[in-house]
Amino acid sequence: MAGLIQDIKLFGEDIPWFQGLREKGMEAFRRQGVPTAKTEAWKYTKPRDLNADDFVMNDSAFLAEFEGAHEEEHSGCCHHHGENCHCHEEGCRCGEEIDVRVDLPFDGYQLHFLNGRFVPVYPVLPRGVEIMTLMEAVVTQEAKPYLGHLVDLEHYPFAALNTAYMEEGVYIRIDRNVKLDKPVILVNHTEADAENLFYNLRNLIVVESGAKAELIEWYNYTGAEKSRYFANVVNEIFVERGAELRHYKMQDEAFKANHVALNMARVRSDGFYDAFCLQRGANIGRNETKVLLKEEQAVAEVNAAYIMHGWATLDTTTDIEHLAPETFSHQLVRGVVGGDAKGVFQGKIHIAKHAVKTEGTQLHKALLLTDTAEIDVKPELEIFADDVKCSHGAASGELDEEILFYMQSRGIGREEAKQILIDAYLDDVINKVADVSVRAWLKDRAGA
Amino acid sequence: MTKTPLLEIEDLCARVGEKEIIKNFNLTVNEGEVHAIMGPNGAGKSTLSYVLTGKPGYEVTSGKIRFKGKDLLAMAPEERAREGIFLCMQYPVEIPGVPTTTFLKHAVNAVRKHRGEPELDTLNFVKMVREDGKALGIDNEMIKRPVNVGFSGGEKKRLETLQMSILKPDFSILDEADSGLDIDALKVVADGVNALRDGHRSMLVITHYQRLLNYIVPDFVHVFADGHIVRSGDKNLALELEEKGYAEFVKEK
Ligand SMILES: Nc1ncnc2c1ncn2[C@@H]1O[C@H](COP(=O)(O)OP(=O)(O)OP(=O)(O)O)[C@@H](O)[C@H]1O
Ligand SMILES: [Mg+2]
Repeated sequence: MAGLIQDIKLFGEDIPWFQGLREKGMEAFRRQGVPTAKTEAWKYTKPRDLNADDFVMNDSAFLAEFEGAHEEEHSGCCHHHGENCHCHEEGCRCGEEIDVRVDLPFDGYQLHFLNGRFVPVYPVLPRGVEIMTLMEAVVTQEAKPYLGHLVDLEHYPFAALNTAYMEEGVYIRIDRNVKLDKPVILVNHTEADAENLFYNLRNLIVVESGAKAELIEWYNYTGAEKSRYFANVVNEIFVERGAELRHYKMQDEAFKANHVALNMARVRSDGFYDAFCLQRGANIGRNETKVLLKEEQAVAEVNAAYIMHGWATLDTTTDIEHLAPETFSHQLVRGVVGGDAKGVFQGKIHIAKHAVKTEGTQLHKALLLTDTAEIDVKPELEIFADDVKCSHGAASGELDEEILFYMQSRGIGREEAKQILIDAYLDDVINKVADVSVRAWLKDRAGA
Repeated sequence: MTKTPLLEIEDLCARVGEKEIIKNFNLTVNEGEVHAIMGPNGAGKSTLSYVLTGKPGYEVTSGKIRFKGKDLLAMAPEERAREGIFLCMQYPVEIPGVPTTTFLKHAVNAVRKHRGEPELDTLNFVKMVREDGKALGIDNEMIKRPVNVGFSGGEKKRLETLQMSILKPDFSILDEADSGLDIDALKVVADGVNALRDGHRSMLVITHYQRLLNYIVPDFVHVFADGHIVRSGDKNLALELEEKGYAEFVKEK
């Protein structure tokens, strides 16, 4: 545990409400420590190597240097980005075509993180969308009504740790009734030489009433597959009345990396939170989603897929809390497990006492490719209300030999036939992604 | 005219599980020939077709099979298919989630690649499937659906025939291609099969009914009982069987 409590210098230590949150995070983490096999929520997924002292946390030195230089060059730069930037300063990079952009088969507003650090180049944004760094949002108090409001520090040790070291991340706000035309894309890129890097990332996403947006997160890496780093991500997501957020994520980390993410979403009346996460990288990958369906007619779709070989453990954990009558949630998770890998699905549906006429469904299916592949599934229903529709199901199977032979007897090679069947298996859930170009991209990556 | 053997089966014995099904089976099919196999239920006709196509679980205990002079038994199922063996299955398999077009495209290109032909691009592939499908009454809607899922018995057989027509195999085994077909569909399937007859391609037609053989006229008819051929003749043998049944052959054992 000592390895993860490090004395590093962070921005904003002089802002009392913010520093107070960090301190609470640190206390909570000290109390809980790194989860062990005895921690109920982590009994199937054991974060490896975490007690090692050799993780290096990002401190602010690099950022300070970078921003210092930026400030010098752009003294007087207005700090408003995109269209709103009117500073006309020579050398102001706001809104300029940038070289950090990655090629994706769909258009969007790209924001980049390199080794856990935000790269301060902003896309040109339309009116009604505000994106700033977490620290800017803290300094301007924008973040104050949201930051830390959804995270239960006592039950999420990694989120507590994340809170203790909050600094990096972005704040995204979509104003009332604004329908964002293109997705906001967060590209999180880790370089292989970031060996032993431990980074905490904290994003705040606020979709105001009647607004509509799509958010894509992509975690990837370059260089040696073996680089061992740890990404600890917390997203706090606010879907206000009648708002809609489609949240798609692809976890493509290096094979020895750890990736632990907690998505905390709160959905108000008539709001819709639609999440999909594809995990295909990391040695330990956990994508945990907790949704609070806070008011009537709030809806959540929480879908996921995972595909892995080798020694990985990929964990999809969900917790949907129906806190008001007539709230709806649907979960579909499909996994493909090969090698000696392990798939974990822990899915909880909680229906509060007064949350009548509520519907919650959950289905997990896994395809095991080898005898040594494993899945652990823990569905949990906590129903305290009458007159609700609730269901859960789990199934696992292998590739059908009859089908494989049929395909082979048409000239299709056995391995190719398997891949076709695996793709088809995952298609079922990837097809839940409403954005067709993103869907195609996910399918492409799933088959890679 | 000298005949070139395409498929040579010698003293074949094969079993499924513990059960010996094919017993000292001998048959040579030359280029361009159509052989019909008729026989009682459970005789081992489908088993023979699976042995020829290399289905796992069908174990050859002795004997040889040569295809175009090569040792067929040494080849994986996909290699046999690429070499030109095609089985029109008695019970075509459903493949949930895989659109028929996707499946067909993979199959066609795997076979083309093996023949040293360039892969078909989507445009030419679609054109070919449309043309061949039209003759078989298979529309676009049908091939967008997952392979065989929810297809009627007749539709499944027509899809098998479509695969045969686009893969253009040198040796086709039709295992009860007529079962479950109405009279019109039977003609459609038979026309599809006949379109492939060019004097070089050969066929093994397994059927219970002489009627199919009115449309796909065989050069030889064999009676298959108790694991091997017990009598051979020309197309008139089928008429005789239609009348008398298999009683005389089944009694023999
Ligand atoms: N997997 C299996 N395990 C055990 N026995 C099997 C298996 N498959 C087939 N058999 C047996 O082998 C015998 C031959 O079956 P096969 O399907 O080849 O017959 P067939 O001649 O095609 O019959 P039909 O005319 O009814 O289609 C049958 O007795 C059948 O029960
Ligand atoms: Mg049969």
